[in-house]
Order: sequence, then C-alpha cells, then structure tokens
Amino acid sequence: MSELNPAEIQAAKVVDARGSACPGPLLEAKKAIGTVSVGQTIEVWSGDPSTKNDLPKWAAKVGHEFLGTVAGEGYDRMFITRKK
Amino acid sequence: MSKGGSAASRRAPGYPPWRGGWRGEPSRFHEDAKGTPLVAQKMLVFCGSDDPDKVFPPFMLGCGAQALDLELTLFFTLTGLNVIKKGGAEGIELPGAPNTLPGFLQVAKENGARLIACSAAFPIVGAQEDDFMDGVEFGGVAEFVSLAAEADVVLTFC
Repeated sequence: MSELNPAEIQAAKVVDARGSACPGPLLEAKKAIGTVSVGQTIEVWSGDPSTKNDLPKWAAKVGHEFLGTVAGEGYDRMFITRKK
Repeated sequence: MSKGGSAASRRAPGYPPWRGGWRGEPSRFHEDAKGTPLVAQKMLVFCGSDDPDKVFPPFMLGCGAQALDLELTLFFTLTGLNVIKKGGAEGIELPGAPNTLPGFLQVAKENGARLIACSAAFPIVGAQEDDFMDGVEFGGVAEFVSLAAEADVVLTFC
C-alpha cells in the first residue's frame, strides 16, 4: 500500500471512537458505514492501539475496503470505503 | 427464514446438492459472488461462571463478533446465571476492561444478542424465572445442543 495522504481522502463521515476500547470502535465503524453510500469513505479515530489491527480484519470480513492508518496525536486515524 | 420453495430452489446456483444445509435450508457454505454468506454466521457462547476473568471475554468477543456480522447467542448456566440476574451484572467488575458489564450487556442486546438462561441449572443454584433481567429467554440442554449444532463458532468459558 502506498503512503496514505489523509488530505487527499474525502471522508463522508468522521467517527470519533477515542472514548471506547475494543470492541467498541468496531461496532461504531459498523454503525457508521451503514450511514454513507457505497463508494464513500469513513474515517475512524481510535485511541485503542488494538483497533488498527482489528479494523482491517473487520473490513475484510464484512466486505469493505480498508485504505490505511495515519497516526494522529495520541490516536490513530483509519479510513474505510464502503463497498456494498 | 422463509420456508417457501423447495430446498433445491433455495440453493445458490452452482453449488452441488451435498452442500445443502441443515434440513434443506441454505447453509453457511452458500455465498454470493462477493463471498458474503447468504445465511448469517452464528456464534454461541457457553458462560458457566461469574468469575470476572470468565465473564468479560464472552462479551468482548461476542460484541466483536456482532461487529463482524455474526449472530450472537449467550447461554448462561450455574454461577454464570448471576450475570443476567436482575442487578447481578452491577456486582461483577473487571478493572481496566473497556466497558462495564451492564454496559456490555446493553451493547450486546442493542445488536440483537439472545441471552438464554439454562433452566436445567435452576434447582442447583436456587434460581427462578422471576430473578432474571427482562428479555432473557429460558432453555435447557436441548436448546443448547441444537444451537451448538447449528452454530459456526461455539466458545466455552467456565
């Protein structure tokens, strides 16, 4: 995967899941992905270090595209495109 | 699930008949072109203890499974029944866990989890149906075994 530039990604929705820990961010991502159209991207923020490992697995299992992770200040920003 | 049509007509095209599911229903082996199962996968968890070390993992894994689109059923028995008694969850704490037990119960229920109390254990622990939270279902050995036979994942914590 090439370097992800968050400035180039138009996220239709930002989910701030920094207040919750595993498996909270997964459930919040699941809820959010249903609110955007197919082809649109959501951005998930999580302070739980396990989320950046879990979210790509979640996306693969439920059939969406995980674009990548960008480190924020004390949290991770992850981008997922709705595929179906 | 609809009972209409023959088992063969409900089968996804291209699958040989021996991959037909339980009692002729579409099985978990049937997938659409994108590999999505036509029938939701199911996870069943046997919760046989009120020790926090054994109470929290079913909820962490169970809610995670719900995020991954699995249908979740939690089956409680013996001291595990204390988790779903009225006011029981409040007394079980695990410092550092991402959520409280009542919080986990709420998340699991919001996402459609079934909570089943093992009525076979009621005489052993001195419980009765009135002791349990609203929404709890009751079932015995046959309930658990038939759920286990149909589940894709069965986990045991006791």
